[in-house]
Amino acid sequence: MPTTDTSSKKELLARGNVYLPHIVVIDKIIEETPSVRTLHFNFKDEKLRKKFTFESGQFAELSIFGIGETTFCISSSPSRNEHLECAINRVGLVTNAMHRLGVGAEIGFRGPYGSSFPLELMWGKNLALIGGGIGLAPLRSLIWNVLDNRDKYGNIDIIYGARSPTDLCFKYDLDSWNRDKTVNMTTTVDKSDENWTGKEGFVPTVLEQVAPSAKNAIAVVCGPPVMIRLTFPVLEKLGFLPEQMITTLEKRMKCGIGKCGRCNIGNLYVCRDGPVFTYAQIRNFISDEY
Amino acid sequence: MEQELRKEASKLLEEGKVDYIVGFAPGSLKFSTTPLITKEKEEVASLVINPFIVNNLAKFLTEVLGRVGIVAKGCDSRSIVSLIQDNQVVRENVVIIGVPCSGLIDIVKVEKLVGKDRNEIDDIALQGEKVAVIVGGEKTELPTKKVLFDNCLGCEFPTPQEYDILIGEPVDTTCNRELGQEKMKELEGMTPERRWEFWKYQFSRCIMCYACRQVCPACFCERCFIEESEPQWVLPVSKWQDNLIFQVIRNIHVAGRCTDCGECERVCPVNIPLRSLTKKMYGLVNEMFHYEAGTDKNAPPLMTAYEYEETKDLIR
Amino acid sequence: MTTKKISKKDIGKLLEGWSRELTVFVPSKDKGVTEMAKWDGKDTSFLEWYRNTAIPAKASFLPASEKMFSFQKNTDGYHLELSKDQQKRIVFGIRPCDAKAMAIIDKVFTDSYEDPYYLSKRNNTILVGLSCTNPYDSCFCTSLGVEPTESADVDLMFTDIGDEFLIEEVTDRGKELMTIAVGAKEATKADDAKAKAVKVAVSGMLLRKVDTKDIAERLQACFSDKDYWEKVAAKCISCGICTFLCPTCFCFDICDELVKKQGTRYRGWDSCSFRLYTKMPMENPREEKWRRVRQKVCHKYEFYPMNFDVIACTGCGRCIRLCPVNWDITQILSSLPASVTSHSDK
Repeated sequence: MPTTDTSSKKELLARGNVYLPHIVVIDKIIEETPSVRTLHFNFKDEKLRKKFTFESGQFAELSIFGIGETTFCISSSPSRNEHLECAINRVGLVTNAMHRLGVGAEIGFRGPYGSSFPLELMWGKNLALIGGGIGLAPLRSLIWNVLDNRDKYGNIDIIYGARSPTDLCFKYDLDSWNRDKTVNMTTTVDKSDENWTGKEGFVPTVLEQVAPSAKNAIAVVCGPPVMIRLTFPVLEKLGFLPEQMITTLEKRMKCGIGKCGRCNIGNLYVCRDGPVFTYAQIRNFISDEY
Repeated sequence: MEQELRKEASKLLEEGKVDYIVGFAPGSLKFSTTPLITKEKEEVASLVINPFIVNNLAKFLTEVLGRVGIVAKGCDSRSIVSLIQDNQVVRENVVIIGVPCSGLIDIVKVEKLVGKDRNEIDDIALQGEKVAVIVGGEKTELPTKKVLFDNCLGCEFPTPQEYDILIGEPVDTTCNRELGQEKMKELEGMTPERRWEFWKYQFSRCIMCYACRQVCPACFCERCFIEESEPQWVLPVSKWQDNLIFQVIRNIHVAGRCTDCGECERVCPVNIPLRSLTKKMYGLVNEMFHYEAGTDKNAPPLMTAYEYEETKDLIR
Repeated sequence: MTTKKISKKDIGKLLEGWSRELTVFVPSKDKGVTEMAKWDGKDTSFLEWYRNTAIPAKASFLPASEKMFSFQKNTDGYHLELSKDQQKRIVFGIRPCDAKAMAIIDKVFTDSYEDPYYLSKRNNTILVGLSCTNPYDSCFCTSLGVEPTESADVDLMFTDIGDEFLIEEVTDRGKELMTIAVGAKEATKADDAKAKAVKVAVSGMLLRKVDTKDIAERLQACFSDKDYWEKVAAKCISCGICTFLCPTCFCFDICDELVKKQGTRYRGWDSCSFRLYTKMPMENPREEKWRRVRQKVCHKYEFYPMNFDVIACTGCGRCIRLCPVNWDITQILSSLPASVTSHSDK
């Protein structure tokens, strides 16, 4: 069910070595929260810039040469391909180094890898798009992709939450979606501060309040594992069947192409068979490690 | 002796004095043993004592939860004491079943000397100064000194000094600590350049399996320095420079905790003579601080205490 | 297929002849551990001591550490330079278990994306197999469908028939190699018969056996049995010996080394037995040892067969022989709980 973009794969394979990154140049940096920044970048090679395509949900391996390489989902939409975007959460060696880069810096890019959100299955359906914290990054790619083709889809409910107002990512997008009359946008925080005027509550709780209908609908949930585990039961309560629930899973990755063995859940590799999975697949996973 | 051990271990479980028994059971290869960690009384019946009980079981004390009845040879009991000094093990939670040890036989040495594979040998028996090896009904006698592990040759504490129960009679402690140090003496006699080349050669084949660290009871750090990424001290893949740094720093970190049990050298799959480093460190610790690891459970760990007089030379 | 033969005394000449066109690797002890290493040009004493190398033949294709590419920061940006290894080689003396292992891990390195480093080495190497004469007590290849004296995964197969080796050409590459083989003669029917007898005899020398029928289903049935796996994992010390020395283990790590403005990206062996193998910033799905041990066993005997239709084990026995605590996979597989509640109830 999850699809993999094969056209870009052949293009990148043509380069001869699937481990050799392409050089991309950072052209803009947005500091989203104290620990998250978004990098806007583009291929140094003009030809590649024009040819490159990907699908929402796929990820890339970004390198800082000399420091290392890590996995990031591509948070920009394929429908807006003037540049590529990735959101970087500062948690370790490479990501901390990413936070020290400036505009004009060159980093390595390998991708796109992995499965993507099944857009064809979503056409004509109502969408419940639920995100938490930096989980909005892959979801954002999907949301803009969907909004740029708005007439293909039915009702759209977006529910997004973060720990606190300062932890809200992509605030400029949240504003746009708030103002978009074709979208039912709800933003919440776990704990508000004195300036916050929006909702307060955990995402699963708020989801239950918003109660999107499960009829002819698909739900997409992206966020920290604990949030995903608490959101699925709520969706089930609202009448969503396992095939109607989609999520992205995260595991430690290195090669990104199903060879180094690290990201497996049972016989499936999150880099190759995921990161997009349906709840039906997750429940049937041969392993409990997700 | 085995019967007595099994009886004691069984009793400890029955009386609820311990949650686990950690000892040695027969291994799946001839002349081998394997650690047994069990709560079941029935499994205790398979505990053995023989010249092949190589593992240093103290390693499992930092892992097994609950009260443990542990079988300990002389070197193992010192490792346990060292862990107690480091506050990794609570003395009251451990029942040390001491097993006096006359030395462990290195099956590789036996195989070399009789020219036969281990499964072609019928029996190996340690009989004081001689080891009787029976192949196809025929007996060959080998001098014990030639088939013991190198670190057993120079053992000064064959009888556990710290124990709750002692199985069998204490072993005579008149060992010559100069024995088993040929490799180290050879290295000491080399010029620094020659020695550097030697270790560069040795560590070129290290595969960074970390077996030396994992098998060492003194390596109990939650996060080992080589697992740090900020900063990254050594690469996670094998390069001789990084392999060498790893081992040298590991030795410095276990200084004062290493009891020369020899496990690191025994388990190394690529035969790096690691004991030449650990034994040297052991000797330095003895020379500089007159300290023997794991002999006094009330002493502070070596590297965490100093006398005021010492500071006059060190802290300037 | 015509079989040839060569006298053991002439092996030196044979290898010499071959080494004029390709680099010859043979079993060697020179570096202090038994492994496949470049032949020094004269020493054939390995024919006497060689049983199997401690370092498996996979190290010739997936080394303990290898350079992927180097990078340099110039004024106009980064320049990357690929490491290429185009050396044409022969690995002489690979055992059937190690050869089958190469065929097994070929699958993962060609699936979806081709791994250029592994495959270029594989394509540039001719495997000359050597049938076993003296299996270890830890060998259990016959339980995994591997014969110690036969191999379809080598280019040439040498069988020890006393003072001579019988040579069977298995692939066209092997046939081609024989055209530059110095000292090879035609074999007689008697030689063929001798070889057959040897094969049967050696196959019977394997004492260690394990039943691998339905092993994937049996493992799946006890997957969630935490108590069982805790018991199995109790004495494991989480080092990397079994996985590093396993000819079918292929997990690797990628890391960068930087010296001023240039450096290298390396790839090297990694192990699912290490605690930090799957560590993520917020959580580690395999923090507990029993999960890692379960992963190792199930990956080899359940997950890999699910993906590639072959068990990722060839019974070479290195894991048993070299494990510091004598953790024995054959004992584990033989003692799986017979019937446990199934993992998922659907």
